[in-house]
Amino acid sequence: MTNDPEDLRQWRLPRGRHGLPRELVERSQRERLLAAVVRVTATNGYESTTVGDILGEAGVGRESFYELFDDKLDCMLAAHKILVDNLEERVREVYDTPEPWVDRARNALAVTLEWFASDPDAAKFTLVEPGTVGLASREIFLADFARFINLFDAGLADGPEPELAQASTLAISGTLARIYEEVILGRAEELPRLLPDLTYELLVPFVGEEVARAEQERAASLQDG
Amino acid sequence: MQKHRSSETAASVLRPTTPLDIGQQTQRQRIIDAMIESCAEKTFAATTITDIVARARISRTTFYKQFEDKRACFEAAVDYSIEELGGIARSAIEPEDEPADASRKAVSAVVEALAARPGLAQLLTGDAFAVDPLVIGRYRKAMIPPLETLWANGNGGGKGHTDPRLAFGQAQVLILSQIASGTPERFPELLPELVYLAVSPFGGHDEAIKQARLARENEATGAAR
Repeated sequence: MTNDPEDLRQWRLPRGRHGLPRELVERSQRERLLAAVVRVTATNGYESTTVGDILGEAGVGRESFYELFDDKLDCMLAAHKILVDNLEERVREVYDTPEPWVDRARNALAVTLEWFASDPDAAKFTLVEPGTVGLASREIFLADFARFINLFDAGLADGPEPELAQASTLAISGTLARIYEEVILGRAEELPRLLPDLTYELLVPFVGEEVARAEQERAASLQDG
Repeated sequence: MQKHRSSETAASVLRPTTPLDIGQQTQRQRIIDAMIESCAEKTFAATTITDIVARARISRTTFYKQFEDKRACFEAAVDYSIEELGGIARSAIEPEDEPADASRKAVSAVVEALAARPGLAQLLTGDAFAVDPLVIGRYRKAMIPPLETLWANGNGGGKGHTDPRLAFGQAQVLILSQIASGTPERFPELLPELVYLAVSPFGGHDEAIKQARLARENEATGAAR
């Protein structure tokens, strides 16, 4: 975990009087609002959340909100982008390495599961709530999905060549679908336990039955050890 | 007219019911169809009762005679779509088909139906999840037991490979990504991947690849399924 102020999951509200310069206060107001929209939306659902709820949670005035964001959706999208950027960065750290592809793929999966498990609110906000914002949801989904497929594909250059044209899409959608389900069932915290099974599911279209089974067992033994 | 009569016959094969009041049934169906089309165009969140009554060319009173509210109408549209696709899948297979072949044929028929009526796909993979993410449980209840029975009665396979529940989530994400990109007419391109997903949980990776290849060849040559 970093102390990066852009990491909304680490953010805590500074309380009381302070002598901070105006730009810093504004920056921190923005961050407070972004952290608040994540918490409030994850709890109440996007549709039932009002700008007032966000202001209450953040301790920020309405005028400041509208100086920083157009509306509720704008605020939500800004927070969403920060979270997805953060996840992509974490995945990249372990996936863009010189190790063999199978290891990098498993590590990327492990990091992803841990990311979602470490903050169930952020997980729900990132994965589930965007589906409820109306037409904009399609664009959000498509953009996020394409991002992770491109990342996955870029790292596949020296990896195995799958038989299916859209094997990467299968891999990403399988992982996403399983994480989504655990999140809506309120089991986000237990996601890392799925690493061995998901390793098998992720790898099998690329490396076939035998190798994928062996990797599943290896992931299980790494987990126990 | 001849054409009209034959399509009516086809529909009655899929839904072998004898409605007591044909007029009311048609109205109800018109409302459901309007809901499906409106969701496809502007999503459930943005759809109003006014949109639905205008599309269905009925009065508000008629709407409320059939459904309590927008949500109830949506639920009926989801149930209708599941049944419709289930019927299409069942009528695509012969009792003597091997499980893997039957799965391929059923998936091919469903994909064809979705390409012809993308609104159904949008409803089931997009809006249904926005309204209630747990809807996936309903899909599974409709689809997994028939698949399990198919494999239990057939030769070969049947041992657990990948989790069939996961395959459903994957298929959902795959279809949703095609819709979100605004190219539902390209559903048939997903056929090999979707066949792979339907076969692999029960028949394993190798059989799934074989069936996916067959599906692709049939698709390319336009051969009968």
